[in-house]
Amino acid sequence: MKLRNAFPLLVFVLVALLSVSLAAAQDIPEGIDAAWWSNAAQPYAGTTLRGVSESTPPSNYVRDVLAPMFTAMTGINVELETTSWDQMYDKAIRDMEAGTGIYDFVYIEQDIIYGYLANNYLVNLTEALADMPELAAPGFSFDDFTTFIDYFKDAEGNVFGIPMEAFIKVYLYRTDLFNDPDIAAAFEAEYGYPLAPATTHEQYRQIAEFFTQYAAANGMQMWGTTVQAVSGHPASFYEFFESVVPTFGVYNWGINMENWKATVENGGAMNSDAAKAALEWWVGNLTFAPPEATSSTWDEVAASFAAGRAAQGLVYGENAAWIATDPTRSQVVGSVGVALPPLAEGVLEAAEAGEGYIGYYDGGAFGLPVSSRNMEAALLWLQFVGLPEIQADWAAAASRIVMDSTYDTPQVMAADEATNGYYTLMREQGYLFAGAPPFPFHPQLREVVAPFIYEAIAGTLSPAEALDRAAAAADAELARLGYGS
Amino acid sequence: MRRNRVGWLLLSPTLIILFLVGIVPFIYVLYVGFFEWNLFSSDRAMNFVGVNNYRRLVFDERFLDALWVTIRFTFFAVISQLVIGFFLAQSLLKNFPGKVLFRIVHTLPLMIAPISIGAIWRLLTIPGFGPIPFLLQNWFNIDYNIGRNADQAFLTIILMDIWHWTPFVTLTLLAGLSALPAEPREAAMVDGANSWQIFRYVTLPLMRPIILTVLFIRIMDALRTVDEINMLSNGGGPGTATRTLGIHIFRVVFPQTDYGYGSAMSLLTLYFTIVICWLLFVSLTQLRGSRGNDGGER
Repeated sequence: MKLRNAFPLLVFVLVALLSVSLAAAQDIPEGIDAAWWSNAAQPYAGTTLRGVSESTPPSNYVRDVLAPMFTAMTGINVELETTSWDQMYDKAIRDMEAGTGIYDFVYIEQDIIYGYLANNYLVNLTEALADMPELAAPGFSFDDFTTFIDYFKDAEGNVFGIPMEAFIKVYLYRTDLFNDPDIAAAFEAEYGYPLAPATTHEQYRQIAEFFTQYAAANGMQMWGTTVQAVSGHPASFYEFFESVVPTFGVYNWGINMENWKATVENGGAMNSDAAKAALEWWVGNLTFAPPEATSSTWDEVAASFAAGRAAQGLVYGENAAWIATDPTRSQVVGSVGVALPPLAEGVLEAAEAGEGYIGYYDGGAFGLPVSSRNMEAALLWLQFVGLPEIQADWAAAASRIVMDSTYDTPQVMAADEATNGYYTLMREQGYLFAGAPPFPFHPQLREVVAPFIYEAIAGTLSPAEALDRAAAAADAELARLGYGS
Repeated sequence: MRRNRVGWLLLSPTLIILFLVGIVPFIYVLYVGFFEWNLFSSDRAMNFVGVNNYRRLVFDERFLDALWVTIRFTFFAVISQLVIGFFLAQSLLKNFPGKVLFRIVHTLPLMIAPISIGAIWRLLTIPGFGPIPFLLQNWFNIDYNIGRNADQAFLTIILMDIWHWTPFVTLTLLAGLSALPAEPREAAMVDGANSWQIFRYVTLPLMRPIILTVLFIRIMDALRTVDEINMLSNGGGPGTATRTLGIHIFRVVFPQTDYGYGSAMSLLTLYFTIVICWLLFVSLTQLRGSRGNDGGER
């Protein structure tokens, strides 16, 4: 009787043990010296590292795949909190500022690194590894990374973040629609040139108009373009200033970095004619965008495109892989093409000459806050995230590449084919894109300027008026913050 | 004397907690409000600026916009809740089929966290997918898009607040109505007063203290609403159409890390809330006085 009562408990214990064993026996990628990791981590086994990041495909991969793999190898637990973008910043900054030591590693988006460095929030990883050679992992080297790692260095070349994601914001289009001979013929008949991914803003607008009309005439729930135009969230600010306005030849948010001024009168370009034309064009695209566009951040834009609700759009590259390959989440699997964004005259040439850029090279790194209470264990973890051996599967799952060597792996080559060349585009033309300008005051200025962009989207200000007022407000805020006063 | 000491001793844990969680933060915010302090400025130190932050507020277009949005939101939401709540409370005094079920369903929104209320309304209203835009488009050919139409967005946050908080008003007023003495109404009926006259000259004056209490609670709540509107409108959009003071202060203090200015804003908002409640109290008590005289003459 007693044995019968104990049977369910016994089964439970066996299942639990089996699960633990399976987890522990996770495949460690070939080439990783598991014995070294186990020995180096021995003093820290049982420690729990806590991190915070944005909920994105690359971060979710870290949480679901890399963290358990690291724990199985070292006995160090890793808890990665993946949350919304603004919550991630709030939590990380508050923790680092107060020095509470809640987080042992934080996601550092490329655009915030300058602020973090100015505030001395981060551990100098170059120095830390030099000071503790016993923790320097075999197979890890800062030299393996693409030049994207340069964004996370100080003036002396010291590294403060291990790149964990890097991608470009590309022009995605529906190959099934663009390659349909009937559609192509109808387009050419109407506009007088062959249907192909747009190279100019005018072409982009005409393609958007054409597909919106085509979808309406054929009873389809589809529109001509995505627009990341959420009208109360910084995502719209970013789409405009990082992905749209550079294609019109206005860089660094239109701020003159020599005197920190934004208005044309003071030498800036935030309210220049080119910037106003860009905002006019971008807001005008809303006429040909799905209704959810004005509520769409980067996530919803990807979701709209994946749901087949847009014929083309500017989409963050981290989403390209799952949109093109995951049938459980995407309705356009196998029908995704990639191209460079449409450009104004002379912008491509300027970018090729290194005098400008054509869009946003996004990405981030994991950094170690000086307030961490588990610095040594966290240092091991960050190096693990930067091992070449784990990069390929991560890149194929989340379309992010931080090392040149990853491009030639079978996983990435297969993913490149599935995405119609996203990885090739990033490898060969990624240099035309750029990360955010080195502003230590990035969030401060954004919060001041963004409401004017929201008002242009809502139509309460005209694009020209919105930028005039935004530039004036930017000048005042920069002076108040002590820049260019 | 000894009894006093024991009393104070027994009260001291509560007083200490109140001091630590209520008074100390208030003093700290008051103190920070006199400084220019931004983590990401070129000089991140706290610099004393006297009342400059308060002076800046007076000329801050964004702050004044947010204040105006908050006043309009509070006025329309609270008045609607009071009117609908009173009507429902009166109705619930009578018996009708399904009364118990109605009371339960009507009270449900009160049990939901504000952030969830915002999420529910966002799902209901999201352009392109939500049932409300879909039905309005298909039934009435109304293009409803709270991501772009400022008036629609503002109306929606008021409707959401009414949906959320009217049950509180109804239940409180119902408790008040149920506790009213029957004699004055019976006497009025004997004197030949009709239903409206009974309501106007008997029920309403008797209910005034309860209405006043409900009004204060709801005004104070509405003036500091953040989470449900922030969730519904993605941070106070479109533009700044639904950016209330609470949302504005949140954005200034956290993403913008402008602690000194944000503290000044918080204090001014507190002051503003106290002034509104005081004005309301004074006007209603004066009204009661003058009505009392009127009543006497009648």
